[in-house]
Amino acid sequence: MSIQSLVLSLLLPGLGHLANGYLVRGILFLLLDALQAGTLVLAVTRGRLAWLAGPSDYWFSTLVLLLLFAALGAGAALDLRRILHRAQWPERGEGYWEIVGRRFSRDPKGIVGLFIIVSVAYVALLAPFFASGNAIHMELKEALSPPSTEHPLGMDNFGRDVLDRILFGARVALGVGGLSTVLNMLFGGLLGIVSGYFRGPVDAVIMRLLEVVNAIPFFVLSLLVIGLWGSSIPNLIIVLGIFGLGPARIIRSEVLSVREHDYVMAARAIGAPTRRILARHILPNSIASLLVVTTMTIGVNIIIVAGLSFLGFGVKAPTPDWGGMLQQAQEFMRTAWWMAVYPGVCIILTVFGFNILGDSLRDVLDPRLK
Amino acid sequence: MASYALRRLGQLILVLLGVTVLLFILLKSMPGDPARVMAGLGASPETIEAIRLKMGLDRPLLVQYWRMVSGLFNGQLEAMTYHKGVWKLILERLPATVELGFFSLLFSLAISIPAGLLSAIFRNSLLDYAVTTTALTGISIPVFWFALMLMMVFGVILRVLPVSGRGETLLGWSFLTTDGLRHLIIPVFALSSVQMAMNARLTRASMLEVLRQEYVTTARAKGLRESLVLIKHAFRNALAPVVTNIGLQTGALFAGAILTETTTAWPGIGRLEVESIFRQDEAVVFGLALFVAAVFMAVQLLVDLAYALIDPRITYD
Repeated sequence: MSIQSLVLSLLLPGLGHLANGYLVRGILFLLLDALQAGTLVLAVTRGRLAWLAGPSDYWFSTLVLLLLFAALGAGAALDLRRILHRAQWPERGEGYWEIVGRRFSRDPKGIVGLFIIVSVAYVALLAPFFASGNAIHMELKEALSPPSTEHPLGMDNFGRDVLDRILFGARVALGVGGLSTVLNMLFGGLLGIVSGYFRGPVDAVIMRLLEVVNAIPFFVLSLLVIGLWGSSIPNLIIVLGIFGLGPARIIRSEVLSVREHDYVMAARAIGAPTRRILARHILPNSIASLLVVTTMTIGVNIIIVAGLSFLGFGVKAPTPDWGGMLQQAQEFMRTAWWMAVYPGVCIILTVFGFNILGDSLRDVLDPRLK
Repeated sequence: MASYALRRLGQLILVLLGVTVLLFILLKSMPGDPARVMAGLGASPETIEAIRLKMGLDRPLLVQYWRMVSGLFNGQLEAMTYHKGVWKLILERLPATVELGFFSLLFSLAISIPAGLLSAIFRNSLLDYAVTTTALTGISIPVFWFALMLMMVFGVILRVLPVSGRGETLLGWSFLTTDGLRHLIIPVFALSSVQMAMNARLTRASMLEVLRQEYVTTARAKGLRESLVLIKHAFRNALAPVVTNIGLQTGALFAGAILTETTTAWPGIGRLEVESIFRQDEAVVFGLALFVAAVFMAVQLLVDLAYALIDPRITYD
């Protein structure tokens, strides 16, 4: 790969692609550049750009924006390097992830899902740049005023901008949904792998434990624990993370089937330690189903968090979150429809994104379907 | 079959015993003092102490555990904040939830099974896309939001349906009176939405799987009419997984009922669950969660047993 293209890529992501004749990818990267630049302009005009000073919201988002610029440049350069390399060695075969990537890029479902999720995440991370500044600040005079050009989604009963609260609410949804899922996968994954690989008495004990926890419907259990322990964002993450043992069962059955393969037996025969077998053979071969379970679990957890907040056991006021906004909207159902409609649409859109991505990953990652 | 059922019943009891321990540990891990919560703000230390004594909170944990479990079985366990026996309280509220759950399940199956089957039969048609997209959206909709929207559209804007409560009841059931029936529509519709979407997806997947089987090809090859192939060979086999899943869905159904009942002010045990947690009423929280777990597991057991009746290939021994 020529040095010029690399420099071009880093200078303005997408330019290197254009110079080498990759039109579609080049334009795609340029569009992302434009989006980033637009966000930057918005941030500057609103005076929200801050460098490690002022409100933490501001400098956090500034930092994220800078990181995104760097990531875009690096991404464009790496992508260009990869396609130039492929063009140079066309006869080289594809690896598993290359096949998966190619199949994924041809599946409209997955692309739509990914697009939705990335958009929500982008908006959540850079919320202060897009918000008008009335997420928590109350303009009581404007309470319950309907959607207008100034406040496109209207104002709530305390005179807070519904759009602003939705933007910041995305942080709670993705943050709590995502982090609790990470815990689910770590904790449930560990139980599932140990249980599935070692079988015998360990498996029996873990499975009985799972049966007891699973005997109480997950939502009821999390409602109960949050209700007793008190609701806060860390508590939500911990409770959903620890008691969401659904993934453990799925991972266990996956491991049970993977461990019977010949390569695992071969590894054991040459005396590989258990740690190595788990890390090098079992885990990589279960990763496909892990990805699908993770994606789907995030969607489920987002709905559960919204449900708990709706019942009054979620995120405490005045932190904006979608479920809590809906709880508040109930009272004003007759006068302020915008308070009820928009947060719900956002929950649906986000969860839909995860569901549709999970659906697509399930098809794409299956090595049997070529 | 009988020995299998007995063994499963034994397992079920053991698991429920585990559930009582889990619930007890959770209750005791609660930060704060239940006696203080019960006494209310500004209560004197003497009052709090009296309540503590009355609730037996001064006894050793094992004794407290035993009192709670045995109290549940001999009906002695009192709901402190309701001034009633726990069982009495649950049984009073139960019909409302049973009614809501039963009609939701029925309605969701009535729509989702035909939709799923047709979608699989006419795979990749416009109908199929419509069903799969609707179902995928359906599983992403929070029931409480859907209930809220139905209330806004049909209750507030169109003013054709009542928005809250059970309305008139006859012998404790709403569906026996016209007014009660009208009150049932919104909660049932809301609660059934997610089940409907899940079942439609499941039915479609299962029917597609069956249509790939060799016996379907054989049936077609021997010249059977397509309608016969579908009805006699495919349909019955496709339904088995759907039926099994109904058992697993009772849990989700109850979770949905908690949210639906709270939104539409439907006085069932779902709302009781939320209320009792708000009031920190240990006895009700404990009794109700155990009751829900017991029902959930019993339904799963019954479905497993029924499975053998539907599918003659399956025998339990």
